[in-house]
Amino acid sequence: MKWFNVLMARFRALRRRDDVLNEIDEELRAHIDMETEANRELGMTPDEAHRSAAKSFGNLGSMKDLAYEVKGGGFLETLWQDLRYSGRLLVKYPGFTLIAVLTLALGIGANTAIFSIVNAVLLRPFPYHAPEQLVTLGEFVPRGSVSYPNFVDWRAQSTLFDSTSAVRGNESYNFTGAGEPERLQGRLVSAGFFSLLGVNPLLGRDFVADDDRPGANPTVILSHAFWSRRFGNDPGIVGKQITLNNQSYTVIGVAPQSFQYGLDADVSIPIGLTAERFKARGSDPGISVVARIKPGVSQQQAQTETDMIYARMEQQFPATNTGRRAYLMSLHETFVGDVRQPLLILLGSVGLVLLIACANVANLLLVRASTRKREMSVRVALGANRSRVIRQLLTESFLLAIIGAALGILLAYWGTSFIANQLPNSVPRLAEANVDLRVLVFTLAISLLTGLLFGLAPALQASRLNLTEALKEGDRGSSGVRQRLRSLLVISEVALTLTLLVGAGLLIQSFRRVLQVDPGFNADNLLTMQVSVNNPDGQQIAAFFSQLQENVRKLPGVKAVAISNGLPLVTANHPTFFIEGRPRPEPGKEPGAIRYTVSPDYFQAMGIELLRGRVFTAHDTPNTPLAVVIDEALAQHFQNEDPIGKRISQSSSGTPSYDIVGVVRHVEQYNLDEQEKTPQFYLDFNQIPAERLPGLTRRINLLTRTDVEPLSLTSAVRGEIAALNKDQAVFNVRTMDQIVAQSVAPRRFSMMLLAVFAVVALALASIGIYGMMSYAVAQRTREIGLRMTLGAQTGNVLRLVIGHGMKLALAGVAVGVVASLALTRTMKNLLFGISATDPLTFAGIALLLALVALLACWIPARRATKVDPLVALRYE
Amino acid sequence: MTNTKADLLQGTLDMLILKALSLGPLHGYGVIQRIRRMSDEMLTVEQGALYPALYRIELKGWVSAKWGNNETGRRAKFYKLTRAGQKQLRIEEESWDRLALVVAKMREAT
Repeated sequence: MKWFNVLMARFRALRRRDDVLNEIDEELRAHIDMETEANRELGMTPDEAHRSAAKSFGNLGSMKDLAYEVKGGGFLETLWQDLRYSGRLLVKYPGFTLIAVLTLALGIGANTAIFSIVNAVLLRPFPYHAPEQLVTLGEFVPRGSVSYPNFVDWRAQSTLFDSTSAVRGNESYNFTGAGEPERLQGRLVSAGFFSLLGVNPLLGRDFVADDDRPGANPTVILSHAFWSRRFGNDPGIVGKQITLNNQSYTVIGVAPQSFQYGLDADVSIPIGLTAERFKARGSDPGISVVARIKPGVSQQQAQTETDMIYARMEQQFPATNTGRRAYLMSLHETFVGDVRQPLLILLGSVGLVLLIACANVANLLLVRASTRKREMSVRVALGANRSRVIRQLLTESFLLAIIGAALGILLAYWGTSFIANQLPNSVPRLAEANVDLRVLVFTLAISLLTGLLFGLAPALQASRLNLTEALKEGDRGSSGVRQRLRSLLVISEVALTLTLLVGAGLLIQSFRRVLQVDPGFNADNLLTMQVSVNNPDGQQIAAFFSQLQENVRKLPGVKAVAISNGLPLVTANHPTFFIEGRPRPEPGKEPGAIRYTVSPDYFQAMGIELLRGRVFTAHDTPNTPLAVVIDEALAQHFQNEDPIGKRISQSSSGTPSYDIVGVVRHVEQYNLDEQEKTPQFYLDFNQIPAERLPGLTRRINLLTRTDVEPLSLTSAVRGEIAALNKDQAVFNVRTMDQIVAQSVAPRRFSMMLLAVFAVVALALASIGIYGMMSYAVAQRTREIGLRMTLGAQTGNVLRLVIGHGMKLALAGVAVGVVASLALTRTMKNLLFGISATDPLTFAGIALLLALVALLACWIPARRATKVDPLVALRYE
Repeated sequence: MTNTKADLLQGTLDMLILKALSLGPLHGYGVIQRIRRMSDEMLTVEQGALYPALYRIELKGWVSAKWGNNETGRRAKFYKLTRAGQKQLRIEEESWDRLALVVAKMREAT
């Protein structure tokens, strides 16, 4: 800590500079006095004694300086001097300072904002114990769903995992019996789920094996948010009973506030309680699996063991497990693997913006350096060495960068929460993005780097001067080095901007093409809401829904009403299908399809076009032959045959089988930009046997097509539901337009940000080119005046000035095109319907930049032609 | 820096000052006199070297400074060896001795 004491002493000295100097002075004078006395004792006269003492002491002033160098502020004092000097200069040229600081604040702020998102989403470790040991298991594909019996067998046979848990998010429960009924989000988990993640419940305990089996006493762990919202943080909640879906659950714990895993859930419930629901080994019930690998075991070893277990299961259960493999993936990759690439592309782009900002500020500094040439010469002439001059100039740059950074952090603070609010749910952990210590360190680092980047070249350049030449006034022709440096800056600015614009252009066009995709349905004027029925009596359920549809249909403004268990872009079931009369496909090779169970008016309400045959009618009942409507993708499985009248079934046994009565248009189920069309078929809700309705209606969408603003009917429709059953929870009220917008939100997000960066870059680059050209013209005023005196026409002058600027701009465009060709390849899978090297985009952007450059040159060029030759020749 | 024209290394000067102060607190003028007496008039430290060295040593915490009065009642700044300074003096003396021993051995060897 010695250096720290020294530093503190220097700081103290800096603050009491005069005191320190006085003390040194007094001490040195006392020394001379004592020597004088000694001399007098040797017999000298007072005068002689003093003179001799003073002489032997030497130059008091330089001695004081020497002493002060040790005792005073030292390097801190130089720094302080430089800072004060720089500060005075910044205040003296407020225009320059404002532009430079704002440019830097924009660049640094944007970088800080994006980095704080990258930090929260990608860099921060997950809030679990030793997260690097956590993996997920997925069947067929990484992140895939796992069948529950397979999970149970895999868990029993594996040896390389400390613990494992099945997780099924997106469960829903009706919470009743304690005030207003509420629809809760739930999560099914295995025993030990919380300890697996290394999370201790805030209150109570984790699930144990005895909770996690069929027939166990139902238990529940509450989320912190739900506990405080509905129970006012009651510390005595553990042991109490709550009612979920008309069943009583014992609260055994409360999760800590910071706990988060996948989808938010108000309640966690042991999956083993309802294991019966998931007993079909061949199904994909949306269960994910998380596991902790034992310390010292690699993911590769664990994967090898898992492969062996799955191979055994394949032999044991060929009907369901043929071709079924399971893949391990790190938890981190599982959650954020998809967003890594777009985020890194954004970070890279915003880095380019900062580079452009640096180029602009460097350009400003270069221009200013030429006006400060005399100041530099005077300082050098007075004895400042080169490193001292460079240090002073760099201090100025750092000061600018730090002020810019301070402003930038404010910008980022606001920008980060703005961005986070744009898409809270589509990017995991985005909501946690904030400016933390790591972000501040990052900002400090980039601002110092920035200061060095834009300051170094001008500083080196300014300090390298020829004294005699510089002190001569009227030296207007700037040196070749400075000219070259400035040209280089313009070229790189144009090239960087082109790269950003091309990236943004490609994303914007992809986005437009996604929006142009025909989803197969009509999203306009369509109100959707979900209801969940908890009634064991199928007859009552059927009566409820038919009455509800009838009542809503009578509301003014309603054109059609329907119900469905699935919804395009939201949810659907995904079973296999078999065509009657065809040989059974090999196990594992059965074609899959998306199944919707809908009421007859669904096609009318959704605006799905009927291509052939008919849709369901009131004549289809549980007592008539089962009907199915298929989409055009499923129809293709019949090749050239007419599918109408053929039969399909959902199970290999072939029963029950359904008559195909109609073919409708395919709808986009997962994304508007999905690459292949998964076949779809529709079953008639009215033909479902009453005993199966309780299982089917846990989540039903009520669709209302209107000819007025759909949300204006919300309360009327809710009123009809409440009139039939006042305890019926209604949730997720949205228009179909909102659902479509939400499905493209991540794409819109990266497109918008990149577009904003590109526009900022374009603005900065045009300012840069304009500034450069104005300066060049101002410097050549004399030359231009001379040319005009000698008979040059306006056109010649315009050509001269514009030609110079455009040469640079076009060089920048050429470099930028090459760089973009290399860089846009990294964003290939963010694009839709457009090639990463789309020639039209490249040509258009190049043309746009060239035009902007032309304008930026033209204005100063015009000014040059207005020069009065007489004034110009006198111009000094 | 000294009238013996020997190029006294800074560390050596530090050691001389510490040694002089080890006999008791003293002001700058006295340090010069004491070094001269202790070296049998062979060493004279110049003021221009003394004060920067004193300040450096003070920053390092080897001596502490306090204003006081000298034998004739004049106000002067007195320097006093601290505990850290005593330790430093021992270290420097030891290394100096070692060096002297090595040099002596080398000379005997030739």
